[in-house]
Amino acid sequence: MSLPGVVDDLRKIVGRDAVLHRPEDMMLYEYDAGVRKSTPGAVVFPQNAQQVSEIMRTASAAHIPVVARGAGTGLSSGAISHAGGIVVAFARMNRVLEVDVENLRAVVQPGVVNLQLSEYVSHLGLYYAPDPSSQKACTIGGNVAENSGGPHTLLHGVTVNHVTGVEVVLPSGEIVYFGGKAAESYGYDLTGFFVGSEGTVGIATAITVKLLRKPEAVATLLAIFESVDDAARTVAEITAEGITPAALEMLDGWTLRQVEAYCHAGYPLDAGAVLLIELEGLREAVDEQAIAVRGVCLLQKARDVRRAKNEEERALLWKGRKTAFAAVGRVSPSYYTQDGVVPRSKIPAVLQHIGEVSKKYDLIIGNVFHAGDGNLHPLILFDDRDAAQFERVMAASGDILQYCIDVGGTITGEHGVGLEKRDAMPLLFTEEDLAIMTDLRNVFNGNEVLNPGKMLPTPRMCREIAGRSHNPVLAQEGL
Amino acid sequence: MSTATTPMRFTRELREICRAEYVIEDPARLQAAQILGVTPAVAVEPASAEEIAAVLRFANEHGLNVVPGGGFTQQQTGNTPAPIDVLLYTTRLTDVEHYDPGDLTIGIGAGCTVAQLSAKVGADGLLFAGDAPRPERATIGGVLATGMTGPLRHGYGGLRDYCIGVRFVTGDGRKGKGGGRVVKNVAGFDLMKLLIGSMGRLAIITGASFKLFPAPRQTSTFVAEFASAAEAIQYRNTVLRSPLSPICLEMVSPHAGELLPGGVRSGKGWSIYLRATGSDAVLARYRSELGAAISREVDGQDESEFWRVIQDFSSTLPERSPASVLISLSLPLADVLPALNELESVAASDHLAYAVIGAVGVGRLLVGLWTADQHANLSNAVFAFRERLPRDASANILHCQQEIRRQTSGWAKTPTHFESMKAVKPALDAKDILNRGRFLF
Repeated sequence: MSLPGVVDDLRKIVGRDAVLHRPEDMMLYEYDAGVRKSTPGAVVFPQNAQQVSEIMRTASAAHIPVVARGAGTGLSSGAISHAGGIVVAFARMNRVLEVDVENLRAVVQPGVVNLQLSEYVSHLGLYYAPDPSSQKACTIGGNVAENSGGPHTLLHGVTVNHVTGVEVVLPSGEIVYFGGKAAESYGYDLTGFFVGSEGTVGIATAITVKLLRKPEAVATLLAIFESVDDAARTVAEITAEGITPAALEMLDGWTLRQVEAYCHAGYPLDAGAVLLIELEGLREAVDEQAIAVRGVCLLQKARDVRRAKNEEERALLWKGRKTAFAAVGRVSPSYYTQDGVVPRSKIPAVLQHIGEVSKKYDLIIGNVFHAGDGNLHPLILFDDRDAAQFERVMAASGDILQYCIDVGGTITGEHGVGLEKRDAMPLLFTEEDLAIMTDLRNVFNGNEVLNPGKMLPTPRMCREIAGRSHNPVLAQEGL
Repeated sequence: MSTATTPMRFTRELREICRAEYVIEDPARLQAAQILGVTPAVAVEPASAEEIAAVLRFANEHGLNVVPGGGFTQQQTGNTPAPIDVLLYTTRLTDVEHYDPGDLTIGIGAGCTVAQLSAKVGADGLLFAGDAPRPERATIGGVLATGMTGPLRHGYGGLRDYCIGVRFVTGDGRKGKGGGRVVKNVAGFDLMKLLIGSMGRLAIITGASFKLFPAPRQTSTFVAEFASAAEAIQYRNTVLRSPLSPICLEMVSPHAGELLPGGVRSGKGWSIYLRATGSDAVLARYRSELGAAISREVDGQDESEFWRVIQDFSSTLPERSPASVLISLSLPLADVLPALNELESVAASDHLAYAVIGAVGVGRLLVGLWTADQHANLSNAVFAFRERLPRDASANILHCQQEIRRQTSGWAKTPTHFESMKAVKPALDAKDILNRGRFLF
């Protein structure tokens, strides 16, 4: 069936006003927060799992690729449609279905915005822990697909540690449940397997998440260093003290100056680097840890360690961190961000390496990242009108990723593989590893109707043997 | 007793893969390794993932049933196995794959015991949170495959929360991996989650990486006694609503308390055991928050022994009371008390005794049921209890007598879509080589 025919079918499922397909409407949905673009054929806005199921049945029957989309804040092109494919957008499935205080759980639709969930349960003294920097916009459904992180994952873990159950629509259209409200369920942990599957296994239509009690006390410290190296060494020293901060973030000198110019967070302009350290828990424990952390920082040659005196000061320090990408966006036409992870002990070495890469490729690279986890976010500046420069950006990026892998790290800590890092997967995984993952995907999504071509590279061999895809849209693209 | 017959030519091939000295044919040793009455035809002790892959590829060619084994602390669970053609020990895979205390991570071979791993990282002031029963025998591979950990689950989460990488060989003999060595990693499917608790049905785990934690420098355990389960649960709720964050929060029923050794045993009621960590000031705060309900405080050597006994409870009960049925339960927090009430009512109507112990703050419980009356129908009671469990509950039987095992095959309960789980199996083990027929399907 052709796409126009499918549009009629989609309208029958969700109503006339809930399907977009005119080219000018498609422009809004051709990108996410990454660097790639692709124009879908239709965008559909379901209101419940039953409609998602019918959409999947229709798309599967017509062999038209489908991608689920939350707010489009992803950085790995995970929510980019195949050209001419169907985008299932969750703007109308944005309700908190249940807040279960006794069980410390909430059941939400995938379109619920991350921060709004925390705000929704705040009056109960509860919150939802994973806090990506885009939390004002990004949705829980997207967080589940990408297994998103955020600064506070150091203590509390990433999305998968906070999801105990999912209602899933499979490519066949069947609606199934994995897990529930219990912390763990017997049998294969398909909930855990589903989280981070980047929309290639099924579409979540309801998500059961943990709610945490707000801590009694929070201390936010800003440690100011003359050099990146001193700050980097401090990271490992803090954990060696037996302290696990709730968050431990680093901004290098160049980045903090951009941030300061943008939002006046109170970072000193002449610093080599700052660490933003947050401690939380029992009042007594937080006070002791704040003193211990201050001691470690000073021992590692911190120039000064400031503690936020009130919620206002705390919010300002965090505003600086969370708007760092936006601040950099002001001074460069484009930037490319990266998400490699290294073992904590390798942070000083990798930052030195990034410095060398910056010189070698003649590019400005800022560093603002989750230091406590070793999760880097080098921001490589470029002008997207300069093709030669963009090639250097990609080469520099590849160089940094390779370094992360060489020291025992990985290519993505929280942004996902998507299209963007798909071809880097063989650097990390053997052909056999990837074949196993592909076989597992095919259990659920054998015809690759859901988010085709994402995360797992197509083995060259298979392509040569199998020829063109059975999927007409993929076949058009020669996949 | 049944014994599989493995033809001599199979043994010959296995000797070529693993070397003769690591192929066990001695009937006495094989007899000692019997699983639920089934004696393996042969056992092998491969030295590497490559050798395991070769054994499994060979098993695929000939359709052999291969049962993976570690320290044999949890082998007596599940359905009676099909005839075991090959018992495959992972105990020689003990290499440290990566370890730098500054990273707070370690990668270790599946055959390393929990005690060895804990001692290694403990020497650097670090904690491995997988406090499985019988840590001197339990291997890392076995702990992951069964998902069995102890009281630290309250403070540090389950294995799914701190296992950051896994290496394995699939049932069809392919070497694979998921995750890696770093604490944050979203590259590829989360195969750690898929294999934790998969009971050796999908793949043989050959190694894994873990997030470690700073070891507590000082701890203390607070004991509170209650007349009823309802009061104990109410106290649990008070603790969960407080700013306190204990590392263990365990509930012990009256009969479970009787099974504990004298020094650990408390009164005759329902007890809550709360383990806290922190400085003197922090522990003083616990004392004041927990209030008058606390009847006792334990620290030092007594405290370690105490938690060790709790940790080993799942083996203590079957040893003391071989005719008992031991059930593992995972429940939403608010379902714990209703489930205990149902247990009470089932036990009362069938004249059974029961014991409950577990990490009540995260809804994980072990339930033991037994009877002095030989004619009482234990399996009926077990089915009646299952029927009354709430929708989101998980339950499986860890220990029971052979006769009950036959009657309760397929008893296990989970909210997860059964057909989806079933569909995953052939993707990794198309010929059903691994642990044939033992778990779920």
